[in-house]
Amino acid sequence: MIFGKTASAASQSVKALGLSLASVLAAAATPALAQAAAASEPAAGSYVPMKPTPGVGMPVPDGIGLQQQYSKLGEYGAWIHDIVLMPIITAICVLVLALLVWIAIRYNRRANPVASKTSHNTLIEVVWTLVPVLILIGIAVPSIDLIAKQYKPAPKGALTVKITGNQWFWTYGYPDNGDFEVISNMLNLPGQPTINNGVREVGSKPWDGPSHLEVDNRMVVPAGEPIRLQITAADVIHSFAVPSLWFKLDAVPGRINEKVLMIEKPGVYYGQCSELCGAKHGYMPIAVEALPRDKYDAWVLTHAGGVVDGQAKPAAAAQVVPAETVPAAGASEAPAAEATAEAE
Amino acid sequence: MATTAEHFQAHADDHGHDHDHKPAFFARWFMSTNHKDIGTMYLIFAIFAGIIGGAFSGMMRIELAQPGIQYLDTFARWFGAVNPDFNSTLHVWNVLITAHGLIMVFFMVMPAIIGGFGNWFVPLMIGAPDMAFPRMNNISFWLTVAGFCSLLLSAFVPGGTGLGAGTGWTVYAPLSTSGSPGPAVDFGIFSLHLAGAGSIMGAINFITTIFNMRAPGMTMHKMPLFVWSVLVTAFLLLLSLPVLAAAITMLLTDRNFGTTFFDPSGGGDPVLYQHLFWFFGHPEVYIMILPGFGIISQIVSTFSKKPVFGYLGMAYAMVAIGVVGFIVWAHHMYATGMSVNTKMYFTAATMVIAVPTGIKIFSWIATMWGGSVEFKSPMIWALGFIFLFTVGGVTGVVLANGGVDDVLHDTYYVVAHFHYVLSLGAVTALFAGFYYWFPKMSGRMHSEFLAHVHFWIFFIGVNMIFFPMHFLGLQGMPRRYPDYAEAYAHWNQVATIGYMVMAASLVVWFVNIIYAFAAGKKAAGNYWGEGATTLEWTLSSPPPFHQFETLPVIEEAAHH
Amino acid sequence: MAGTKHHDYHILPPDIVPLATTIGAFTFTSGMVLFMHGMPGGHFVPWLGMALLLAAMFTWFSKIVNEAHAGDHTPVVQLHQRYGMILFIASEVMFFVGWFWAFFDFSLFPSTIAETVGGQWPPKAIEAVMDPFALPLLNTLILLCSGTTVTWAHHSLIHGDRDGLKKGLWATILLGLLFTSIQGYEYLHAPFGFGGNTYGSAFYMATGFHGFHVIVGTIMLIVCLVRTYRGDFTPRQHFGFEASAWYWHFVDVVWLFLFVAVYIWGGWGYPTH
Ligand code: HEA
Ligand code: HEA
Ligand code: CUA
Ligand SMILES: [Cu+2]
Repeated sequence: MIFGKTASAASQSVKALGLSLASVLAAAATPALAQAAAASEPAAGSYVPMKPTPGVGMPVPDGIGLQQQYSKLGEYGAWIHDIVLMPIITAICVLVLALLVWIAIRYNRRANPVASKTSHNTLIEVVWTLVPVLILIGIAVPSIDLIAKQYKPAPKGALTVKITGNQWFWTYGYPDNGDFEVISNMLNLPGQPTINNGVREVGSKPWDGPSHLEVDNRMVVPAGEPIRLQITAADVIHSFAVPSLWFKLDAVPGRINEKVLMIEKPGVYYGQCSELCGAKHGYMPIAVEALPRDKYDAWVLTHAGGVVDGQAKPAAAAQVVPAETVPAAGASEAPAAEATAEAE
Repeated sequence: MATTAEHFQAHADDHGHDHDHKPAFFARWFMSTNHKDIGTMYLIFAIFAGIIGGAFSGMMRIELAQPGIQYLDTFARWFGAVNPDFNSTLHVWNVLITAHGLIMVFFMVMPAIIGGFGNWFVPLMIGAPDMAFPRMNNISFWLTVAGFCSLLLSAFVPGGTGLGAGTGWTVYAPLSTSGSPGPAVDFGIFSLHLAGAGSIMGAINFITTIFNMRAPGMTMHKMPLFVWSVLVTAFLLLLSLPVLAAAITMLLTDRNFGTTFFDPSGGGDPVLYQHLFWFFGHPEVYIMILPGFGIISQIVSTFSKKPVFGYLGMAYAMVAIGVVGFIVWAHHMYATGMSVNTKMYFTAATMVIAVPTGIKIFSWIATMWGGSVEFKSPMIWALGFIFLFTVGGVTGVVLANGGVDDVLHDTYYVVAHFHYVLSLGAVTALFAGFYYWFPKMSGRMHSEFLAHVHFWIFFIGVNMIFFPMHFLGLQGMPRRYPDYAEAYAHWNQVATIGYMVMAASLVVWFVNIIYAFAAGKKAAGNYWGEGATTLEWTLSSPPPFHQFETLPVIEEAAHH
Repeated sequence: MAGTKHHDYHILPPDIVPLATTIGAFTFTSGMVLFMHGMPGGHFVPWLGMALLLAAMFTWFSKIVNEAHAGDHTPVVQLHQRYGMILFIASEVMFFVGWFWAFFDFSLFPSTIAETVGGQWPPKAIEAVMDPFALPLLNTLILLCSGTTVTWAHHSLIHGDRDGLKKGLWATILLGLLFTSIQGYEYLHAPFGFGGNTYGSAFYMATGFHGFHVIVGTIMLIVCLVRTYRGDFTPRQHFGFEASAWYWHFVDVVWLFLFVAVYIWGGWGYPTH
């Protein structure tokens, strides 16, 4: 009880910080901009959310394997899984099954009425101890190598993105670009109860991605360069996971977890919260949009306070678009995060 | 070398039922100090809990049959919510998976395999008249029941976003502390305290019984492998459960008394909880499977009419699994942001366990090799176990690779892995043991035909449920989600259909039990014939209320 | 019960006490939930459960004593009891491992994010810690001393010296009570509180559970003393005493670890109070 109060007060204040920042910067400005930009032809320096390619950065219907990988580490990891691990484990299962079937045929009561009494054979016992050891060493070599590579620190000057998990949305901070913050909520699904009041429905915009995965404001990053992700949480543990980028790192309150992400080519890559975080754990997806550096810079500049190369450029022209050309924006979109807090 | 009881020349006394002055109903079942009666109560309790846990998984599967939220609202009302809002509707999902996981682990598998079969057959197999502490045996059982009641109570009180504890069976902080106000999680925590206390006492009882009450001549190296498996399991329980008790006590004081063990605002560390939990949790998974290994060893040897191949290797492989099982726990935490060396260490250590486990698999196969194998119902279940457990085990080795787990952690791949070792491994071992010993316990033969039908439908059903989950997991579907992207719809639908197939097999099982009691033949003392050599087969079916009033003497094996 | 038994094991008649104990435990835990959430019955049900639990346990242990008198505790049954007690203590050790784990996690890796901690140990919010070489050191000596007095009692018992047994037990119990009183005094005058930061949490829960074990151990010794006055225990059969003594030594050893780790190392160089 005492504890409950302190804790909720603490998490409230953390949240409040994020929210006030965000509602000033992101919620007020970004959607308006994005939508305005979409309405008119994209001018230089403006930004239109990228249209996702079906099957890229998302699960494919009836798929049975790993998602296609779009990072070097992902390709390596997928190689270990598909080329090293899968054949080995399949072979082991097939071997065990084959031996069982052979026993059923050869050593059933009719085929072999008198049981042998053999209960020892040192050689074969040594073999089935040593061969698995060798197989495991074979697996461990690339596996350990992959871990080592995953932990290579980011080069100096790599772009930092601060990711915060909240019940139940993500916020993305860009300290190197003027420290603005983006609030990211899942889009509502047609025909389902409203998840986030005021957030539009999936499919209402030409660039909206798959159901359950698309968000209102994506995490936009430059492609082709290492990015330092710093991940934490404001309330309970969440986990930032993007399968097609071989990336998963928990967002733990009171800790900042850091890891490098490098996306090979531009595109939209979807992920989902991967640590149970309460009622709407299933409804806080992740959408990472990787853009060429210039387009990324343009995206940065659509945010109030957005800074590129250490220079605060004047906010893009789009920002002065008169309010009435922004259909149902501001008022309905800004409260998304607050609405989450209020719940339905 | 000594082998299992093939060499036992038991001088058991079996004076039939003349001396059986069984206590009256209340005294017999509520005040029991008899290991067989307590074992029976554990089994009935486990079946009851299994039906509830299985029903919960049915509710989960029906909701997951297609994307979107279809039934959670109805379920919320079943649990007593009045006009639940959307959040408390979604909360029902978390309550379901939490209750399902906890019930299956603590109130189905553990009571059945340790409390039920362990109680029944450890004393019988070592030639002991009862357990070392018969009265403590009884409280172990009742505490398990009390824990179950506490867990059920939690479903009807507020747990934060809705009624019930929705923390997952892992009860991670801070979702289970600041994230879940209301009494539900406290009831859940106490549920584990009660059941845990019962299990610790059970562990003490088993270890003492096995060390001190072996019949004359029954050396450690002559004990049946099932006894070995329970011995190792009991040590795992004894040493891991207290750590869980400490961890959940910290949850309790964080929740209610202002401590900050897991609250970052007071310097606490949510990841500490995970370390403490998994220090228990990983040994726990071997607690659930080792007695199954023991059961399979007995059955394979019996129906091959051969002693177990490599007996000592089999026994010490279990000891090795138990020991190594204590130093691999953080492979459940690869995504928490651990250091590179830690991750490498736990990757390597975890993979080591595949070696002793492989020894067991291959030794079972070698036991059958050259045997005269009879495919009676327990044997067919045992064969199913060996294959299905291998499938579950090798996906564990995939997950053991920290770098690969990064993409599979908390996806359905993990769900597929652990259901293959649990719902297809441990549960299959349970059914194997059930058919092996049911006539011994009840005195009535079941129908072999129905038992085979049960097996094949179950086998098809569970593979249909859980094999597609590998696909879902590789494709990235996260676990603990009531709703999912369209792309995952197909395999989820297959899994739900598989559930219905599996459920049909359970009906066959019930029919078989009813048949056995209503019309089953009376079971002889040793109804499996020459292959069945352990001491329980020297007794009548069911054994006298107090067996071995003159201790059996195990003679030195004729040859080595 | 059954016919003639030809073995030395102890076969027990049916007994309601385990179920009664369970009902007590369940009432207690459920009552605690009511209490912690300020629900009706919260101030009554836990006590009821506790009373039931204690009554049932008293009955249970009384039965064991009576069975000992009835000669049920043959050498092999006594061996069971030894194993049982050793294993129980092993599980208790693992329980304390949990608390030490938390303590070392907090002290070796103090949070840099929480302002109350500020990346240091003891945390910023702690102005002063207890001086380990004042009352805690005294308490250490008291417990060590009590370890010798209980051994004195044991030796006396083995050599048939009832008087020495009584004296040794009295001394041990008094030292135990003294320890608990001093610990209570320290708690009341501690320069830091219970909640709000990791120091208070780890300190009070670890030392608190130790204190609880001291109290349980003292009660066990008091029972032994009462039984001594009633003429129980022979030089050859006195497992009740031995179990209590083992438990007491276990509690003693835990304290040494607490003293060295939590009091001395954990507060090294910090202002004391
Ligand atoms: C009965 C229960 C049981 C058993 C026996 C196992 C056995 C193993 N488990 Fe499993 N596991 C669980 C129950 C179990 N597990 C549960 C419940 C979870 C999830 C908990 C949760 O998060 O809710 C889990 C999760 C889990 C994870 C964490 C995944 C994640 O959350 O990201 C990992 C990672 O290392 C893992 C690994 C292993 C390994 C290596 C084994 C090994 O012991 C397997 C060894 C067996 C074999 C390998 C097959 C036989 C061997 C041979 C035929 C020899 C030849 C083989 C080789 C050379 C490879 N398990
Ligand atoms: C032993 C453990 C066990 C068993 C048997 C099962 C059985 C089943 N589980 Fe289990 N499951 C878990 C342990 C288990 N599960 C755990 C730990 C979790 C994680 C929870 C969490 O995330 O916190 C989980 C999560 C989980 C999920 C993921 C939920 C999510 O992440 O959102 C799903 C989804 O389909 C699922 C489905 C099923 C199904 C369909 C079965 C079916 O196979 C069920 C059919 C029932 C039986 C086969 C049992 C029948 C047995 C008896 C009646 C007793 C027999 C007794 C004797 C013979 C004596 N389970
Ligand atoms: Cu956020 Cu799950
Ligand atoms: Cu594990």
